[in-house]
Order: sequence, then C-alpha cells, then structure tokens
Amino acid sequence: MIKGLYSAVSAMMMNATRQQTVSHNISNMQTPGFKQILTTAKGFMQTQDVYTTGNLNANQINYLGTLGLGTQVSEEFIDYEQGALQNTENPLDLALEGNGFFTVKTPDGNRYTRDGRFLRDADNNLVTVDGFQVLDDAGQPIQLAEGDVSVSSEGVISVNGTTGATLGIGVFTDPEAELQHTEGNLFTGPTASTSDATPRVSQGYLESSNANPSQLMTQLVEVARSYEAAQKLVQNQDELLGKTISSLGRIG
Amino acid sequence: MTSLFHTLNISRQDILSHMLDLDVTSNNLANVNTAGYKTNRSNFQELLDQQIKEGTKLDHTQILTMQGTLTSSTSSLDWAIQGDGFFSVTLPDGTIGYTRDGQFVVDTDRTLVTASGYPVVWDGEIAEGMTNVSVTADGTVTAVDADGATVEIGTIELTRFPNPGGLASNGDNIFLESDASGAAQAGAPGSENFGTLSGYKVEQSNISLAQELTHLMTLQRALSMTLRAFQQTDTMITQAINLRKA
Repeated sequence: MIKGLYSAVSAMMMNATRQQTVSHNISNMQTPGFKQILTTAKGFMQTQDVYTTGNLNANQINYLGTLGLGTQVSEEFIDYEQGALQNTENPLDLALEGNGFFTVKTPDGNRYTRDGRFLRDADNNLVTVDGFQVLDDAGQPIQLAEGDVSVSSEGVISVNGTTGATLGIGVFTDPEAELQHTEGNLFTGPTASTSDATPRVSQGYLESSNANPSQLMTQLVEVARSYEAAQKLVQNQDELLGKTISSLGRIG
Repeated sequence: MTSLFHTLNISRQDILSHMLDLDVTSNNLANVNTAGYKTNRSNFQELLDQQIKEGTKLDHTQILTMQGTLTSSTSSLDWAIQGDGFFSVTLPDGTIGYTRDGQFVVDTDRTLVTASGYPVVWDGEIAEGMTNVSVTADGTVTAVDADGATVEIGTIELTRFPNPGGLASNGDNIFLESDASGAAQAGAPGSENFGTLSGYKVEQSNISLAQELTHLMTLQRALSMTLRAFQQTDTMITQAINLRKA
C-alpha cells in the first residue's frame, strides 16, 4: 500500500517536469529557429511482489510477479523537424531548408543554430542577434564589405555583386544523437562536415519555431488530467491507509 | 527535481515579454503612415542555461531598415533617400540625430527644418526672397531667387552606418548613433552605398500592414496560451497543497 502511495506521487512529479517542458515550448513559439523539446516517460524500477500467509510457521512466500514502482521522466530529446519559413524581407534574415545548421562562434566554442536572425555589427562582422560571430565554411568569421548583401541558395554571400565568403553550414547525419542543447537556441556537438552541405538558404526569410500550438494545447490537457488523476490516487491510498490503521486490529 | 514555482516563473517571464512586444507592434501600427518610419522588431530568444529551462526573453528590438516606397508629392522640400543614408538634424541639446523623414520646411528664420522643427544639417544658406528650395540626386541644393533665376545655394550630405539596425531610437522618428550601429560616415548622395536623393518625393513607412496585423494576432494567441499554462501550473500547485485533505 505504501508502495502505491509513492507510485502515485512519482506520477505527479513526472507531470510537474512535463509541465515545465510544455511551458518552455509555449514560451518559445515565437523564437525563430527554436526546436521543441519533447519529454518521454518510462517506468520506474520494478520489484517482486510477494504474498505471505499469516501463518508464520508455514515459512512460505508466494511470488505474484513483478510490480512497477511508478514512473519517471525518461530522457528529453529535441524535435529537429523543419519549421515553417516566414517572409520578413529583411536581407540579413536567413532560413535553412533541410538538414543543416549555421555555425557560430561563442566564447565557449563553436555552436550550431537554426536561428538565422543575423546582423552586421559595428565592425562589419556578420553576427547573430546575441552578438556571436557567424562562421564561414573555413571556420572564419564573416566580414561583410559595405553595400547590399545577397545570399545565394547555396549560402554564398555577395556584396554589391562581388562574391565573398560562403556560410559554414554544418551537417549532421543524426542530429538527435550527435548534438546537445546547451544554451538558448544553440547546440553543441562534434565538428560538423561543411563540405557536403545540401540545405537551401533562403534570404529574407526566418524559420519559425517548430513548437506547434495544437500539439502543445493537447499536451497541456494531458499533463493536467494525468496530474489530477495521480493526485486523486494519492488521496485514495492515504484514505485506505487511514482505514487500515484505524479499523484493522480493532477488537470488538 | 523540478519545481512548479519555477514553471510559474517561465510563464510569468513569457507574459512580460509578450506585453513588451505588444507595445512594439502597437507602435509600428500607429506609424503606418509616418514618412520615413522604420519597422521595429522584437527579437525573442530562448533562455536555457545548463539544461535549466527558463522560457524566453525579449532580447532587444531591432530596426528593420528596408527601403520604404517613394511617393510623389507637390512640395519641392519633400526630399527622399533611395538607399542607405540618413539626413542629419541638430537636436535642441546640440547632439546630431538622424532621420529618413525628409518632409522639410523653411521656417521664419529661413532655416531648413524638419516637420518637428529640428534644423537640418547642410552646407548653404537660403537668402531672403528665395523660393522653391529643391535638391538634386547628388545633393546639390537649388532655389529660385527673387529675379526668377534658379541658383545653386549649397550641398547636403548623407550619413550612413555599418549597422543601421542598431541605431538608438530618440522618438520623433529620429535615431541616434550607438555602439551597436557603429560610427557615422558622411558622404555625398550618389556616392557608393549612400543612396541618392530626390525632391518632390516622400518615403513611406516601411511597415507591412499585413505582417504586423498577423503578428498581432499570433501574439495574442501566444499570450492566451501562456496564460493558460500559468493558470494550469497554479492549479497543479493547489492540488499538491490539497493532497492531505481527503
């Protein structure tokens, strides 16, 4: 009976964690390049359930099978599905179509991102909205000449018609396994291959967040109901326990 | 161990960001007919630190400096820039401000001023009796003198910035140089990257009405979803508190 109490509580805790993830995804529905975080649940450890007769002399234990001890959050993973492209007409907004990531340089090392909101900084470097330098296919910061910037679908940057650097677009065959989500909208992983990059670069577009409102609403309801059910279970178990203590063993 | 109170905070932060974005969007919509107005965009960024999810924050607003459409006008003092440059104006405290709004007037002291009354920085003078002050594509300012002859009375330069999107807003459709924008560079209209000038033209606001309204709609929906998540987290906390009430 006590086991049941903890099992029900574990479901409440698991749903509290899911609620946090769902809230985080909702918060980032308007963050370009955001990839939603998915949470999976798995069973907690299993135990052998036994039944012993009241007769202590019998020394007999009947195994009834295994019993789950509740649930816990399994690993979280990132949904790398393509987000919809949104037209902004801003020449330094770039979007990727297909598998691939822009490479940016942070103080902690190179990171990968799908967020193509780029700016020209005061020193004419191509930088992200967070001020990190965007790197070219040779891993060098991209210096823009003065003038109108155009970016080809292969990621070749030209200014006033003069061809310059090519965007370093990193490709991972299995981003789920190779990348880790470390900071806001940035991923870290092994050095990506930039040579066989195939994604299409669209200038004047941003990739919207792939957090999907209808999916998120469903998840919200799911979490709410399953949290509520677990809460009722805890109360039931508590009630039963109370009865056991007060009624069992009462003589007469 | 995740705390539901932390989750409440994620939603709270999100609601605040959306309120700020609502201000930015409303301001854009209010300026749909302001000459030379440049769209402001709110840049949200995911907040995640060492795997701790903290929702989103409004990182900063960015000025989108795309060219606005030039429309014809009947005033010779309506000057518009096609290209990157800005007009320079002297603000009351002596600092130089920058604007794309070239709807100028000549005041009673024969000074060339903006619609808000700030003197325009240019090299020349408007003598008494001169009318029809106008500008050519390369920045030569001309006027018709008292005898009816067209004379050159000065020149005007334009100013450009490495990152005009990083200029600071000063209100009144005027921008100020900032660390993000980089240093101002002056140059003659028509020279490379400064843009050309034309008289009898007004640059329209570069707001895309359809885009701003769509943004407003998604913003409101996102806000109501966040409120819903906030309320739900609150309910969950209440349920946890009421566990022992059975």
